[in-house]
Amino acid sequence: MSAAPVEPVMSQAIELDQAEQDTRRRRKQSRWFATLFLAPTVIGIGLFTVIPIIASFVLAFFEWDIISNPKFVGLANFTDIATDPTVRVSFLNTILFVIAAVTLQLAVALGLAVLVQSKMPNFMRSFFRSVFFFPLILSAASVSIMMSYLFNQNFGLVNHFLGKVGIPAVPWLNSETGAIVMIVLVYVWQNFGFSFLLFLGGLASVPKEVYEASSMDGASGWRQFWQITLPLISPTMLVASVMAIIAALQIFDQPYVITRGGPGDATRTAVMVIYESAFQQLRFGRASAIGIVLTVLIMLVTALQFRLSRRFVFYS
Amino acid sequence: MSDLSRRAVLGAGGLAAAGLFGANIPRLFATDIPGRGDDALTVAILGTNQDAEARQNLVTAFRQIHPDIKVRIQAVQGQDWSNFFAKILTMVAAGTPPDVCVVATEGAQLFADRLAEPLDTYVQRDKDVMQDYFDDVHPSLVEAFMYKGNLYQLPIDFNAANIYYNTGTFEKAGVDRPADTWTTDDFLRIARQLRQGNDAPFVPFYWTNRLWGGCVPWLYINDTSFLKETKAAGGDWLWSTFYADDPAAAGRSGGYLWEESNALDPKVEESFEFLRTLVSEGLGTSPAQGGGNELVAQFAGGSIGMTPAGGFWVQGLSEAGMKENDFDVQFFPKWASQHHQLGAAGYAIMRTSKRKDEAWEWVKFCTSREGMHLAFPTPNTTPTRRSMCNAQLYAGKGPQHWQVFYDTLDKVGASPIPAPPQQAAVDTALIKNVLGAVTAGSRQGLRGNLQTLDRDLTLALGRS
Amino acid sequence: MTTKTTAVESASSKASRTPGIPHHAWYAPSKLGKYFILLIGTLLTLGPVLWTISTSLRPVTESLGASANLIPSSLDFGSYREVFEQVDMKLLILNSVLVTAACAIGQMITAAMAGYVFAKVDFRGRNALFAIVLATMMVPMQVTIVPVFMLIRGMGLSDTLLALILPAIPTAFGTFLMRQYFLGLPDELSEAAQIDGAGPWRTFFSIFAPLATPGMAIVGILAFNYHWNEFFRPLIMTISEENFTLPLGLVSLQGNMGTGSVATVLAGVVISMIPALGVFMFGQRTLREGLTAGSHR
Repeated sequence: MSAAPVEPVMSQAIELDQAEQDTRRRRKQSRWFATLFLAPTVIGIGLFTVIPIIASFVLAFFEWDIISNPKFVGLANFTDIATDPTVRVSFLNTILFVIAAVTLQLAVALGLAVLVQSKMPNFMRSFFRSVFFFPLILSAASVSIMMSYLFNQNFGLVNHFLGKVGIPAVPWLNSETGAIVMIVLVYVWQNFGFSFLLFLGGLASVPKEVYEASSMDGASGWRQFWQITLPLISPTMLVASVMAIIAALQIFDQPYVITRGGPGDATRTAVMVIYESAFQQLRFGRASAIGIVLTVLIMLVTALQFRLSRRFVFYS
Repeated sequence: MSDLSRRAVLGAGGLAAAGLFGANIPRLFATDIPGRGDDALTVAILGTNQDAEARQNLVTAFRQIHPDIKVRIQAVQGQDWSNFFAKILTMVAAGTPPDVCVVATEGAQLFADRLAEPLDTYVQRDKDVMQDYFDDVHPSLVEAFMYKGNLYQLPIDFNAANIYYNTGTFEKAGVDRPADTWTTDDFLRIARQLRQGNDAPFVPFYWTNRLWGGCVPWLYINDTSFLKETKAAGGDWLWSTFYADDPAAAGRSGGYLWEESNALDPKVEESFEFLRTLVSEGLGTSPAQGGGNELVAQFAGGSIGMTPAGGFWVQGLSEAGMKENDFDVQFFPKWASQHHQLGAAGYAIMRTSKRKDEAWEWVKFCTSREGMHLAFPTPNTTPTRRSMCNAQLYAGKGPQHWQVFYDTLDKVGASPIPAPPQQAAVDTALIKNVLGAVTAGSRQGLRGNLQTLDRDLTLALGRS
Repeated sequence: MTTKTTAVESASSKASRTPGIPHHAWYAPSKLGKYFILLIGTLLTLGPVLWTISTSLRPVTESLGASANLIPSSLDFGSYREVFEQVDMKLLILNSVLVTAACAIGQMITAAMAGYVFAKVDFRGRNALFAIVLATMMVPMQVTIVPVFMLIRGMGLSDTLLALILPAIPTAFGTFLMRQYFLGLPDELSEAAQIDGAGPWRTFFSIFAPLATPGMAIVGILAFNYHWNEFFRPLIMTISEENFTLPLGLVSLQGNMGTGSVATVLAGVVISMIPALGVFMFGQRTLREGLTAGSHR
């Protein structure tokens, strides 16, 4: 806001008054405008997200099966989940999954984005860009259905090809490691395209001159990548990793359709336990309690990332 | 883009959207669904709208007898029973519960415990009609729907886990049809022969990891189960009235109770050890969770020798192109006993229903000969009336020994899937530990898995 | 007047500028190695999809996995016929179109409105309010679905398409994207408009809204993609088959107890892909450029 220089001259007083009225009118108009424009989103989010979150928080202190009346149980749901081995394992799985899947997703996306963004004919560039983006448009449910056929231990194509190069049939769904690896692969297959798109953008914004200058200094490709590209796209990296982590922490569709959490608890994730508690075992209070723990975890991880980003992210 | 054409495009788009939504307002509010909000008896079934339409004959026939009762069949979809029950609960939560609902053994006690109305008074009121039904239905099916002395459902169809085999694979390996009293040793021998006589990819025995037809039949034939089975008192009102002359009804109770884990029973370990050898020897698949989608095709294609299934499978195999002599069915082999596992289903009246008398008329009609005849025109399940499992039902579709389906009840005996009110949690606890147990590297490892199973089952049963 | 036009022109040229693609000669893996990796990536990405399409066209007896021939021995559209016979495909598509279109249009409009205010209109508590809106993105939907369900029941909308539409229109993520987009448009535009005597309404509708269409397109495309494929919410919120959307219909093709045939299920998967594919062709570029612009602002 720039304050206009006002001189205390009588003849200008009336004009000034006029201007003040004008500003006031404008401010009032603007308030109306802001209120009306914010209303759908703010009321909507309040009604369909904030109030439900509060309700869910309250529910966490009750035992409720939808049919009978809720019963206040204090912290029982929280102590219950703290001692439940399945809940503990599912959170551990979720965290391990996030580490594996997000690392792989970002590495694949960045690697391919660098390659696609390097020198090549335009038509090829658009071809590869479209290809790597493609899985993103499919639904997780249909991808999971499709992949469970492909990864079938006895009749699936994946083991068929592995067999061709002399690798014995992998029991994808029937061993803990196999199932975890499969879920990570299927998830990354479908989701790397989004990070890929973000990286393309990040890379495109790096000015050519920077590289030209460093090439003159005789820096090699890899050194350029570590010393120039990576710092320059670090803001993109932050956005991509925050989004990837928040999404991965909520993984549900793939294990729900493919493994139902098994074998054992190997692929049971936090959201799956919420779903099972609520919609299969009708323990809605307990489900809410687990949900709150997960939400807190997501918030902590995100806050930590922004904390770290102050040190590692380079803003030009 | 010039301003004008941008506006034109926007305008056209807006108009199209307005038209789309305008024309579909009834769709958005779902007021176009026939019978919705009608004052009718709502009957929820597991299945698709197609299945609901298939029951239209049933409704028509019912309305000829009861012209004053409007009926609306509501198809509710679920990949499995626990999904279906979740949906029914959703309907209750949404304030639109059905009046009558199909419930399978898996959910029988959950419903009895919280949602269903006992049928005792209704059954006694219509004694004559009911006598005809009970005369035709094996008592083990009825006992499966008793809960703490009350009867909650009248079963209309059932499936016991039998062994289906592809006759082609048997012929290739030079194996004859096993005898009715074959043993687990015979089973192993046949499985080995099958593997020798058939080309890869081939598995002698394919099974899926689920509550029905998974590991449980192998526990039952060894005279044990993963839950301690006790029986509730009561139920005499039914047995002494309707089954007074039936020796098979001797000792029947007020219903099963499953309140404790039995996973550490040495016999359970023995059964799992059997399955473990089966898997490690490559005679049985290590069981996939859920799934089983490719099963029909694999079985029809001859890559599977034997697999557990019930009478429901006949129609599916026939649709997949199998002829009546391409496959056959036999009991599970004999071990400590030859007791089979069964699942059944029937209609339950919801406690919340305001038209319980009308609901009862529906339940009663569906247990009649005519009702069952209309409900099960094809062998995609087994009718509970003995007289209806006949040559006519299986004509042209097979299997040759279709008598096995009902003889499982009459000759070798069967009891229901262990499904206490905490069924969903118990189901999860069992399913997630089976694979580890049967793929354990040693008997010692197996024991560890069973201990985990025991812990998980105890936790699952522990909550009220 | 002249000031305004130039400002608009410069802004619009800035907004619609496609980010140039610098051809980095710097990172030069051997050409062969580069194309080899890209080719492998392409195979792994498209392979499963091509296999799905080819399997859906196979005769049922051939539909078992192990046949690695990509080309079916003969084309068989039987599975597609089967899909239309087993489920009411027309109704599923209509429902999906209604839900997806309503969500996409609703999100585009409300997100543009809110995003604009958060970016360009100063008021007390703006940042706090925006922070709350953003924070809701971190709460998994599974946590809120039961209370939302009860709310919908209170509105008398249980088991309707509106139960899927209404809660999905307010969008935190879309609002965030649109705010970023408007932040990228220069403030001078509104100052110029104000000097010109335009109120907030005219400033928005005649200057900013037209410039924001690419941003709104991104919100629309992302909303389309998300809601077209959405599984969990419809699973909980709809009961009658008449209200199912496509992904639910697909799962019901798998059959109760998973007895459906592979080829039929995959045919259903392919059918549901087609509209998404159309939007992908049409929206891929907009999305790429839009996200590109937004991510490093």
